[in-house]
Parts: sequence; structure tokens; C-alpha cells
Amino acid sequence: MIWHIATKEIYHNLTTLRFALMIILLPLLMVANALIYSLGSYGYKTQINDYNRQAAQNETHIKDSANKSLAELALVGPGKFPKRPSRLTFCADGADEVIPRSVKMKSEGSISRSSGVPDEDYAWRHPLTLEYPLMSPGGNATRRIKIDWVFIGILMSFFAILFTFDAIAGERAHGTLSLMMSNTVSRGQVLLAKYLGAFLTLMVPLVIGILMNLLVILLTGSIPFQLGDWLSILGMVGLFALHVSIFIFLGFFFSSRVSNAITSLVWLLLTWVCLAFVFPSLLGTFVSNLNPIPSVDEVFMRKRAQLDQIDDEWREGPSPKLKKAPAIERPAVARLWATYFTAISGTETRIADEHIDQQLRQVQLARDLTQISPIACFQYAMEGLANTGVVSYMNFVKQARRYRHTFIDFIKAEDQSDPESLHIYPVREGLSQKPVNPKAVPRFREHISHESVLVPIGLLVLFNLLFFVVAQVSFLKSDVK
Amino acid sequence: MQTLWLVIQREFVSNVLTSRFMIGFIVCLLSTAVAVFVQVDDYEKRLVEYSTAVREAQAEARAWELYSDIKLKAHRKPNPLGIFNVGTENFGANTVTVELAKPIFELTSPIWEAPTQKRGSDNPFLAMFLTVDVVFIFKIVLSALAILFAYNTISGERENGTLKLVLSNAIPRDTVVFGKYLGGMLSMFPIVVVSLIVALLIAFSSPVTTFDGRDIAHIMLIFSVSLLYVSTWYLLGLLLSVWTKEAATTLILSMFIWVLLTSVHSNVATFSVEKFAPYQPETTFLQSAFDVWDQFRKERDAYVKQRGYEDLKESISWAPGTTSTGIGTSSMSGGYFLKERYSVINVRQADTSIFQEILGYQESLRIAAAEKAEAILKKPAEVQERNAKFADAISRISFADVYHFAVGAIAGTDRESYNDFIQGSRAYKREIVEYLRDKKAFSSRAWFSNDQGKAELTDLPQYSDAQHRRLSLSESVSRAAVDILILLAWNIVLFMAAYVSFLRYEL
Repeated sequence: MIWHIATKEIYHNLTTLRFALMIILLPLLMVANALIYSLGSYGYKTQINDYNRQAAQNETHIKDSANKSLAELALVGPGKFPKRPSRLTFCADGADEVIPRSVKMKSEGSISRSSGVPDEDYAWRHPLTLEYPLMSPGGNATRRIKIDWVFIGILMSFFAILFTFDAIAGERAHGTLSLMMSNTVSRGQVLLAKYLGAFLTLMVPLVIGILMNLLVILLTGSIPFQLGDWLSILGMVGLFALHVSIFIFLGFFFSSRVSNAITSLVWLLLTWVCLAFVFPSLLGTFVSNLNPIPSVDEVFMRKRAQLDQIDDEWREGPSPKLKKAPAIERPAVARLWATYFTAISGTETRIADEHIDQQLRQVQLARDLTQISPIACFQYAMEGLANTGVVSYMNFVKQARRYRHTFIDFIKAEDQSDPESLHIYPVREGLSQKPVNPKAVPRFREHISHESVLVPIGLLVLFNLLFFVVAQVSFLKSDVK
Repeated sequence: MQTLWLVIQREFVSNVLTSRFMIGFIVCLLSTAVAVFVQVDDYEKRLVEYSTAVREAQAEARAWELYSDIKLKAHRKPNPLGIFNVGTENFGANTVTVELAKPIFELTSPIWEAPTQKRGSDNPFLAMFLTVDVVFIFKIVLSALAILFAYNTISGERENGTLKLVLSNAIPRDTVVFGKYLGGMLSMFPIVVVSLIVALLIAFSSPVTTFDGRDIAHIMLIFSVSLLYVSTWYLLGLLLSVWTKEAATTLILSMFIWVLLTSVHSNVATFSVEKFAPYQPETTFLQSAFDVWDQFRKERDAYVKQRGYEDLKESISWAPGTTSTGIGTSSMSGGYFLKERYSVINVRQADTSIFQEILGYQESLRIAAAEKAEAILKKPAEVQERNAKFADAISRISFADVYHFAVGAIAGTDRESYNDFIQGSRAYKREIVEYLRDKKAFSSRAWFSNDQGKAELTDLPQYSDAQHRRLSLSESVSRAAVDILILLAWNIVLFMAAYVSFLRYEL
């Protein structure tokens, strides 16, 4: 009987205008997505080329510096680590224009002083720190909605509403609901059958659209998928199903609550607008009031002030401690410079780490809050599977920090093994002047984790259960006429 | 006339008494209130940040003693109309460092000592959340409401059989269609007006917001354009209602068009233009700018040699018996710029007339190099701007975006206003260069030393509204004219189509 009603529902849906509209729009968007991401500029190929070029540059950088001397390597640092581009950006773009693509552990810019006194002239590098360069605010002001699978998923929830708003109220108005109920079928079964009907009507075209999308991408050969990607894509189809299912239940709920199909649509539509656009954006903006953090400039000023203080104390004030330049013959001076450099890099590291942590915590809070919208949960879960978005950057930053210690420990250990060295880190003259084996230098490796999908998936399941119960109860209590 | 009034009244009453009116009213009101509340707060922050920035810059300026100390800043003043339409207010740079040695440009990749910076943003990562303002709510929610009011005007009455009743009276069909349009718009009116009043009240209640007469005029204009926009959607619903037989079909069709025009079309358009525009990595531009500075160094060294000196230091002659001689140079280079400061040791005993002459030549050369570098480095932004314009043109197919552009132009928060700011800072830089040239500052002793008097900086041109001023109402209207006309044209076309279709309508 359930299957009977479900097939009836499906046949009914297939002949409706909304189905026709969906079947036109969905493949169009899916193919557009595939074409944009596979043939468009700065696609995966360009990104991976950029990444490889950067990685190769790093490799030569490490090799060159290591071949020069350990001191050189210790001072310039291991380079700039690019974040590996995701092959699944077309599924979840994850606001990549605000999320940095790399972190930097490379000293750039040199400082020199020349006063004509031979023992005092010195040129040095800015002390090495791990930096988190942000994307500049410049560029174009185009809107930030991307035509990725997440966007298509949001549209699918809209279609779920269009297919269910009259599911019960419409039948009630036509009088067919009482006809159906006069059969030996429980209300629960009716709801289940209707659910199956709507679910299949939505999911089958979606899966076909996804297959078309993947076919186009495979034909253009622009993204070399790996096994893990296929598993992620499979997981995403599951996410689509969870997401669409929530809105089907929501549709049933409103449709059984109200007498008029139109009122149900009004409610659904406004709920949808709120869940898709208004809530996530307002909560996202609101977080900065809820949990204020110092602005970029305040942090910059604070850093400037502290660095200036150190500079005044050590080399610029009326009686600078660093009058002489460090040299191998002057280990005491070198030690002073080491204290100075350590103070500078310590201050910079502390402030930069603290600041990015605050920013990321704020974003995390915003994400946690916006998860009251199932659409946001869907988006975050998709990003988690695609390894894009801010969480993947957070993981990346964590790993870069771990690597920072590994690198410095390596330098110190390597320096200890050179008996000629003064063992004064991080002054050029105080470190081993011998080359090191470039192969022995530890490299940064990024490990991808999909852990972040667990919470949003859990929430999606929870939303499903919740709306299922709500729809079921509301349908059980509703009048047939 | 009386029958028209009757139709209007009937339509109005039948709309206002429905649940969709109440729901729409509440949702529109609440979301507008919250959006304005959040935006006022954001505006306050921008304002505080702006005044701090200006104060800091003034304090910095007071410490300048030499001409080469000058490091001016152009600050973008927050626009109070940004409360209603954020647009580019939160986007892009709001501080431009105007330095002679530095080109003014924008890149997306982070660079050291970037000339254009964004001050006051707590958290750049939060930019990943869409911003919601009144105009956004109007664009999405009001349009949906307009359709929900219009979808059953004709097809619904036809289904109920009341259309026959209406037309069997001695009411001309044009009166019916016109009356239904006016009645529908009249029922939208309270929603728009009350939302707007609430928005204004919240905006005015904040102690920092000050709206002058011109702002009020702009807000009124935004309000009128919003009504025009709502009317477009209503007419579209009306037309579809005439064309389709069943109210349910009208509704599905118009909802579909609604989602297409408000969220799909322009995003697909902008995104595909962005993605299909040829990509040239910004590093290539930076590299060419590096070459400009290499060239500068070569030309400068050649000039010093041509004057008969090995290096700059030799051009200075110290009084005999001076114990230590030399010049201190501190230079700062990000590759795309080169700043150098000189200090002459024992300057009181030094004759620097030739040194000054060389500096005079060198600094002009530096400014020219900065201009060359600027011409190269502003290309990526120019290309992006061209692409964005193209994407805008395609987006204009959807009148939801036409509305957005029109409001942005009126409020002065569109991309053009932002570009005006960047252009303004370039104009300001030219002004400074002229000022220093007139004073012969480059070849003056006060360029590098204050022993013979500090630099005369009291009449240094200030960055002011002259470079970046807000537009008057007529200028705003002329900027938005195209978009307003497109909206008007849509209204006329849709109305005519609905009118003609209804005249030929068969019951």
C-alpha cells in the first residue's frame, strides 16, 4: 500500500509544472558548475600548478639555504607553505577569497645600518616567525555566492518546499485525503508513502544531475579524481539526501498545520528565506558584537608599540645595548643580539598567534551559532568533506605550528653537532657556518582530516528526526477535512 | 472613477485580511529591524575607527620635521547611507598610504607594506558571511510578498468564478486590471512604509548617526525606487496570473522566476564571468614593477657617475678637520617601491649643495618610477573592474539586480563610489607632488636635515572631501538613471502586457 501511494505521488509529481521547471534548471546548473570549475580560469589545474611551483620553490629554497650553511637556513626559514588546493572545490567552494592560501615561515626584508664605523655596521634579517598573511581586501566587489554544489543544494531545499507545500493541504482541499484515509492505511503509512514519493522525485533528478556534472568534469579531464574523492562525493550525495529530507518534513509539517495550501507556502517560503539567507548572515555579523575582539589595527599598533620598545631598549635609544655588530670573535655581543632577536620574534609570534586564534575562535562561534539553520549545517558538512572552508584552514594552521617547533628543534640539534659553532641561536655569526644535508631538513606535510563533518552531520540527522516527529504528530492530529 | 475606487478598495481589503499579509508584515518588519540594528552598530564601529585613524594620522603629522618624513594617508569616510545598503562600505581598502615612493594599487595577494589597507576590521574571516541590510531584505522578502499578493488576482478569481461576476457588471476591463494593480500596490504600501519607518527610527536613535537634508532626500529616493521594484514584481505576478489558468500554476511559475531572478541568475552571471576571465597571476605584475625599480637604481647611479662621483657620499664636502664624515642611509624596499632616507653625519660642517641638487633629480626620478610601477600594478584591478562591469551588464537582465545597482548608486555605496575613493587618493598624491615641487622641497636641505630649519609643512594640502565627496541628489539620480529607467521600462512593459492580455482574456 505504501508503495502504491508512493508511486501515485511520483506519477503525480512527474506531470507537474514544478517538476518540469526543476528538470530544466537542475541539469543546467549542474553542467554550468562543471564547466565553470573545470574550464574556468584559476581552476584546479592552475591551483595545483601554483601549489607545485610554490612547493618546488620551497624545495630549492631549502636546498640553497642548507647548502650555504645551517646559519643561513636558520635565519631565512623553510619558506612559504601553500595549502594544498582541494579537488572538490566545485562541490563546496568555501569562501576561498577570504581564506588565506598559505602561511609563511620565511624571513623577508633586510635591515641594515651604516654609520661609517666598521665594527658597528651590520645588516641583518628580520627575525624568523610564522606568519599568517591574510588575503588583501582589494579586488572586486562581486557577490560571494558561488555556483557550487552547496548552492544547488540550497535550491534543492527550495524545490523540496515547492513539492510538499500542498502535499496534505492540497489533498484536503480536493477531498482526496479523506478518500485515501478511508482505505485500510494508517496515517503514518500515508506520510511515509508521501515522503518516499517526494524524496524520490527530488533525489532521482539530482543524482542524474550529479552524474552529468561528474561526466562533464571527467570528459574535460581537468580534475584527476582519486579514490578518496569518490568516497567524499558519495558522502555528499548522502548529505544532499539528509538536507532535502529535512525540508520535505518541514513541508509536511506546515502543509498539515494549515487549511490552505497557499498559507502553507507563505510560511514555508519565509522560513526558507530566513534559514537560507537571513539567519546565517545576521548571526555571522552579530558575532562581532557578541564576542568582540581587538581589530586588526589595534593588534598592529600593540605589536608596533612593543617592538618599538624593544628596539629602543636594544638598538635605537640613547644608550643602545647593541652598539657593536655581532661577530665570531665577539660571542658576548652575539649573545646580546640573540636575546634581541628572540625578544622580537617572541613578541611577534605571541601577538600573531593570539590574534589569529581569536579571529578563528570568533568564526568558529559564528559557525556554531549558524548551525541552527539546517542549510548552514549542510554547507559546513559539504565543506568538511571537500576539505575547503575555514575549518580546513584551521587544521592547516595547527599543523604549521607543530612544524615550526620541529624545524627550530632540528636547527638547534644540528647546530649542537658542529663543534666550531658558538651555539647562539638565532644570530648568523653564532650558528654553524657549515652546510647541512638538505635531505635531513624536515619538510612540512599537510594531513587532511574530515573530522569536522561529524557535528554538522549529527545535527542534520537530528533535524531530520525532529522534523519527522513534528510532521508526524502534526499530521496525526490534523483533520482530514 | 468610482468603480475604479471600488475595485481598488476590494482588492486592498481582500489582501490585507489574509494571513500572508500578517506573516509577511511581521517577517519584513522584524528582519528589517534586526538588519538595521546590526548595520547601525557596524556603522558606529566604522565611524570610530575612521576618527581614530584621522586622529592618529594628525598626531603622526605633527612629528614630521623633514620633507622626507611626509607619509600621508587618505581615509575613506563611512557613509551613513551604508546602514541601508552596505554595498562596498565594508569592502576593500579604507586607508590609502600616499607616499611619493609608493604606487597606489590594489592586489588580492598579501604584500608587505601594502599601500591600500583596510583598517578597523575585527575579523576578515567574517566576510565569508553574506551581509544583510534593508535593501537585501527588500530585494528578497518584499519581492516574494509582491508575488504572493499578485499570483491569484486574476487566475484565482477565475477559479472561484468571481471573475465572471465582476466582469458581468458594467466595469470596463481596463478598470479592473488597473484597479487590481493599484489595490495590490496599496496593500504592499503599509509593509514598505512601516518597515522603512522602523528602520529610520532605529537608525536615528543611535547617537552617532547624523543624517542631513541631503541624506533624507537620498533615503526618500531609495524608498521610491523600492516601491518601483515592488511594483515590478507585482506586475509580473499579475501578468502570470492572466496568462495561466490556475492559481497554483501561477504561484509555482512565479516562485520559480522569483528564485531565478533574485538568487540564481546574477550569481551564475558574475561567477562565470569571474571564472572565465583570463587569469594572470598577480606575481607577474609585481615582477614587472620590480624591474621598474631596478631601472630606477641604474639611472640614479648613472646620474651620480655622470656628475663625477663614485657614490652619493662624495658629493658632500665637509669642513676640513671634521672628525667623522659620511651619510647614513636607511632604505625600505618591498620590491615594488623603494624608500630611502638619508642622514648626513656632522651635517653642520657639511656643504651639501651638490648633494641637494642630486637629490632633487633623484626624487623626481623616484616619483616617475612610482608612477610607472603604478601604471603596471593597477592593471589587475582594472581588468577586474572591466569584468565586473561586464558581469553587471549581464546581471541587469534580472530586475532584482537592477534594483540593487540603482540603490547602490543612490546611496553612494556602489563600486563606482569605491573606485572614486581610490582615484581620489591618486589625485591627492599628485597634489602633494605639485606642492612639494613648488616648494622645491626635493632639493632643499630640509629634505634630510633640520639644522637650518624644519620643513615648512603648515600649508600641506589635506585630504578632504574635495577628493572624495558625497554626491548631491541630482548627481546620484543621474548615476542611477539607467537602472531606474530600466525598472520603469519593465514596469511599463509588464503593465502593458498584463493589460493587453487581460483585454483579450477569454473567460
